[in-house]
Amino acid sequence: MKITFPHMGTLDIVLSDLFSRLDVDFVVPPKTTTKTVNLGVKHAPEFACFPLKVTIGNLIEGLEAGADTIIMVGGTGPCRFGFYAEVQNKILHDIGYDFEMIVLEPPMTDIKDFIKKCKKIAPKKSLIQIFHAVRVGWKKAVAIDEVERETLKTRAFERNFDDTTVARKKALTVLEQAVTSLEIREAREEALSLINKVEKDHTRRALKIGIVGEFYVLLEPYINFDIEKYLGQKAIYLERPVYLTDWISPSKNNPVMGINSDEIKKAAKPYLSHFVGGEGQATVGHVVKFAEEGFDGIIQLLPFTCMPEIIAKSILPRVYKDLDIPVLTLVIDEQTGRAGIVTRLEAFMDLLWNRRKKKLSVVS
Amino acid sequence: MIGYLGVDVGSVSTNLVVIDEKTNVVSYIYRRTMGEPIRAVQEGLRELKELLPSKIDIEGAGTTGSARYLSGVIVGADVIKNEITAHAVAASHFVPDVQTVLEIGGQDSKIIILREGVVVDFAMNTVCAAGTGSFLDHQAARIGIPIEEFGAYALRSEAPAQIAGRCTVFAESDMIHKQQMGYHTEDIIYGLCQSLVRNYLNNIAKGKELLSPIVFQGGVAANLGIKKAFEEVLETETIIPKHYSVMGAIGASLLAKEKMREKAKSSFKGFSTSDIEFKTSSFYCKGCSNNCEIVKIEVEEEVLACWGGRCGKWEVEQTGTTPVS
Amino acid sequence: MKVGVPRALLYYKYFPLWDTFLSELGAEVVLSPRTNKRILNLGTGAAENEVCLPVKVFYGHVLSLKDKVDALFIPRVVSVEGGAYTCPKFLGLPDMIRALDVDLPHIISPTFNLKLGLREFCCSIFELGGYFTKNFYKIISAFYKGLNKLRNFEGLMQDGYLLNEALTGRLSPTPKGSLHIGVVGHPYNIFDSYVNMNLIERLKRRDIKVLTAEMIAPEIIDEIVSNLQKKLFWTYEKDVVGAVFHWLDTKSVDGIIYVLSFACGPDSLIQILIEHEARKQGFSVPIMPIVIDEHSGEAGLVTRLEAFTDMITRNKVGRL
Repeated sequence: MKITFPHMGTLDIVLSDLFSRLDVDFVVPPKTTTKTVNLGVKHAPEFACFPLKVTIGNLIEGLEAGADTIIMVGGTGPCRFGFYAEVQNKILHDIGYDFEMIVLEPPMTDIKDFIKKCKKIAPKKSLIQIFHAVRVGWKKAVAIDEVERETLKTRAFERNFDDTTVARKKALTVLEQAVTSLEIREAREEALSLINKVEKDHTRRALKIGIVGEFYVLLEPYINFDIEKYLGQKAIYLERPVYLTDWISPSKNNPVMGINSDEIKKAAKPYLSHFVGGEGQATVGHVVKFAEEGFDGIIQLLPFTCMPEIIAKSILPRVYKDLDIPVLTLVIDEQTGRAGIVTRLEAFMDLLWNRRKKKLSVVS
Repeated sequence: MIGYLGVDVGSVSTNLVVIDEKTNVVSYIYRRTMGEPIRAVQEGLRELKELLPSKIDIEGAGTTGSARYLSGVIVGADVIKNEITAHAVAASHFVPDVQTVLEIGGQDSKIIILREGVVVDFAMNTVCAAGTGSFLDHQAARIGIPIEEFGAYALRSEAPAQIAGRCTVFAESDMIHKQQMGYHTEDIIYGLCQSLVRNYLNNIAKGKELLSPIVFQGGVAANLGIKKAFEEVLETETIIPKHYSVMGAIGASLLAKEKMREKAKSSFKGFSTSDIEFKTSSFYCKGCSNNCEIVKIEVEEEVLACWGGRCGKWEVEQTGTTPVS
Repeated sequence: MKVGVPRALLYYKYFPLWDTFLSELGAEVVLSPRTNKRILNLGTGAAENEVCLPVKVFYGHVLSLKDKVDALFIPRVVSVEGGAYTCPKFLGLPDMIRALDVDLPHIISPTFNLKLGLREFCCSIFELGGYFTKNFYKIISAFYKGLNKLRNFEGLMQDGYLLNEALTGRLSPTPKGSLHIGVVGHPYNIFDSYVNMNLIERLKRRDIKVLTAEMIAPEIIDEIVSNLQKKLFWTYEKDVVGAVFHWLDTKSVDGIIYVLSFACGPDSLIQILIEHEARKQGFSVPIMPIVIDEHSGEAGLVTRLEAFTDMITRNKVGRL
C-alpha cells in the first residue's frame, strides 16, 4: 500500500510527518503547478468548484508517482467539499486508474467506521499508537500554523526585502525535522524566534488588511498567486482567520487564531443568521470582527462557483455599507491571470491609503 | 517650459500625454498598441516630440495601463500606477466633485466610485468583451458602418431594436436575426448601444450607487449613442471630459507631477529613448516545475527588467520593494 | 395582511402547503406572476453575477412582488428530512434578500430544519402561525389542511400528472405517444417554462410522454439512494439521482433529458454520479444534459431537442 493525498498549503508537511510516525508508505504528489491544474480541469466537470479540479490534478500526479491508495476526508454537507472524495473516486476510476480510496468521514458521524479506517491506514500500529502519533503530529501542525501567523504579521515590517520569506522557509525546515514531543517543543521555539529575529522597521506605516474566504484558496499559495507574500512585501499587515489546524480541528476555540466560533457566529448574525456550509457564515462574521477592530480593509478570496462564499459575497455589500469597511472580492479559477489580480490589489491598496489619509485629515 | 509626461499602454491602445506646470494638456498621442508595447511607446514618443514645443523640459514621467511596468522601464518613469487610480485622478482633476467614473476602453472597462474626492469602490472587467469597445468595433465591421459614425446613426433611432443576450456571441446572433427581420440600421445600432450599456451596468456596476456627477471616459465615450443610452438608464446627465480618450495617460502625468514634489530629479530617459534598441527575449524559469515563460528586456547586454511567471519572482527581483505611500 | 410568495425555487415543491396554511390563518396570499423577461432582468440586475440562475430568478420575483404586499414569505428551508440538507443557497436565502439595497416589506422567514427533529419543526410552525393568530388549534388545523393539500398534489404527480398541472389543477390527458422521455432536474428549472424555453411543451407537442422524478414512488428512490456508496446530503439531488438510476435500471424510458442550471453547485457533482452509472450500464438509455443559463438561445435548444428525439425514434424503429 502506498498512500497519496491532495495538496493544501502546508498539509503535505503535516501528513508526511504523520505517515512516517505510523510507518506507512506514502508519496507526496508534486507541488501544484500549471500542469496539475490543467489535468484537473480536463477531467473535472466544467462548473465544479475550483478546489475539486486542482485536487483531482494532484491525485492524478500522486497516482502517476506510484501511489495505489488515496486518502481523503468526507463531510456531511451542505458544502460540496463533503462529496469530493466520492466524485474523485468515480472520475479517476472512469479515466482508468486502479487504486483504493479511503475516505475519513467526521468521527462524530460513525466512530466505528472511523476507527476501522484508521486501522486500515496504519495496519502495523495499535489504536493507542495511532492516537499517540496523531497527538504528537498535531503539536507540530499547530506550531507550523503559528509560524505562518507570525510570518504574516512580520513581513510588512521587514527591513530587508525577502528576509521573512527566507526565515519562514528555515523555520519550517526546523519543524519538519523534529520528531519527539520534546524536539517539537524546542523546534517551535527556534522556529518562532527565527521569524522574530527578522530585522524590522517599526516606523513603517502599514495597512491592516484581513484576508477571508474559502479555506482552500486561502491556504494554497499556488492558487492564490501567493497573495500573502505579495501584499506583505507591499507593507500590508495581514491577518487571516483560518489556518490548517483550525480547519481540521472541530473545536469551538480555534487553537491558532484564538477565536471562538460562537463569537464569530454572533458577529455574523445581523447579516447572516444561519450557517450555510463551508466558511460562508464565518467569512461574514470575520469581516464584521475585522471592521470592529479597525482594519483598513478586507480581501475575500473565493473559488469560482463556491456556494457558501457566493452567499457571503451577496451579503458583504451591506456590511460594507453599515460598518464602512471596503471589501475586495477576488474570484479565482483556472482562467484567472496574475496581471488582473495585481492591478486590482494595487488599486485597492491606493484606495485604502487614500481613505486613511482622508481620515487623518479629518481628525487634524 | 516645464512638462510632465504620462504614458498609458493597454493591450489595444497606447496613449501619451504631456501636461504643463498648470496641468493644461500640451499635446497628446493616441495610437494602437498592435501587440508591440515597446514599439508603440517608442514611436509614440517620437510622434509626441514632433508635436511639442521645442523648448520643453520633461520634469516628471508616469506610466499606467496593463503594460505599466514595461513602459515604466522604457521611459524611465518616476511613478508607475495602476489604471484605476490613474483614471480616478484624471477624472477628479477635471470634475473635482465627481462621484462616479464610467470608463470603457477597447478591451476592458471599469467603474470607479468616489466620495469627497476619494476612491471608495471600483470594479473592472478584463475577461468579457460584452461591456467593452471591441464589441462595438466588431459589430460595426459586421454592419459595414465605420465605428466613428455609430453615434450619429444611434441618435437618429426612433424605435431601438431590443438586442438580447448578455454575451457578445448571443448578442451578435440576435443582431443578425434582427437584421434579417428588416429593422432599420439606426435602430439596430442604438439597440447595440443599449445592449452594451446594459451589460456594463449588469456586470461591473452591479450593486454600486451611481451618483452624479458622472464622468464618462475612455475611447467609447466618443460614441454619442452610448452616452445617450447611459443617460436614459441612469436618468441623469453624464460629463464627457475634453480628452476622454487619454484620461489614463493624463492621470499618470498628474501623478508624476505630484511625485516630483518629493523627488529631486526625474528618472525620465528623454525622447532619445525612442532610438535605443530594446532587445526582448524569453526564457523558461527553472525555479519550480511550472516552467513559466519569462520575458527579458535588455539594452546592450544589460538586463533592464523581466516579466511573466505565476509567482512574480522575476518582477520583484528586478524592481525591488516599492512600499506604497 | 397580504403575504407575497415568489413563484420560484421551493414554490414548485411546497406551494399547496404554504398557500393553504397561510390562507387558513387569514393571510391573503399574493403570488408573483410567471417568470417573464422583466422578472429575469430584475433578478439578474440585482443578484451577484456568480449566483446560479434559479436564485437570480427568485430575486426577480421578490422584486416584482415587494411593492404589492405587506410581507414576503421567504422561509429558510434548511432540511426537510433528517440527515440531509436542501442546498446552501436555500440556507442563506432570506439573508441574501435582506442584504439587497432596496426597500423591502417585512420578510417572514421561519427556519425549517428537520435535522433538528420534529419538535423543532413544530416550534417553527407555531412561530410562523404566531404571525397571524394566537390560536394554537387554528394553527394546527391550518397546517393539517395544508399538509393534505400537499399530499394531494404529490399524489396527483404519482398518478402521472406533470407538476405544473398538479399545481394548477388543470389536468390534461397525457399524450399517448409511443416515445417516453424522462426529464430530470430541479422542478424550478423544469417547470419554469420561461427559463427553460418551454421544454416540456415542446416535448408534448412532439407527442412524447414526459416522465419526471415526482412520478416515481418515493420508496423506490429511497432504496436506490440508500445503496449509494456515499450518502447524498442534498435532498433534492436524491430525486434526480434516484430517478435517473431507476430509469437506467428498468429501461422504462427511451431517453433521459437532464436539465441543469449553470453554476448549480450540487448539480455539478451529481452529474458525475449519473455519467458514471450510465457508463456502467453501457449507455443503454441515452442521456442528454441541457445546461440553462440566462444566455441560452431558443434556437439551440430546439435543435438539440429535435436531434435527440429523432435519434431515439430512429433507434427504436431500428430495433423493431
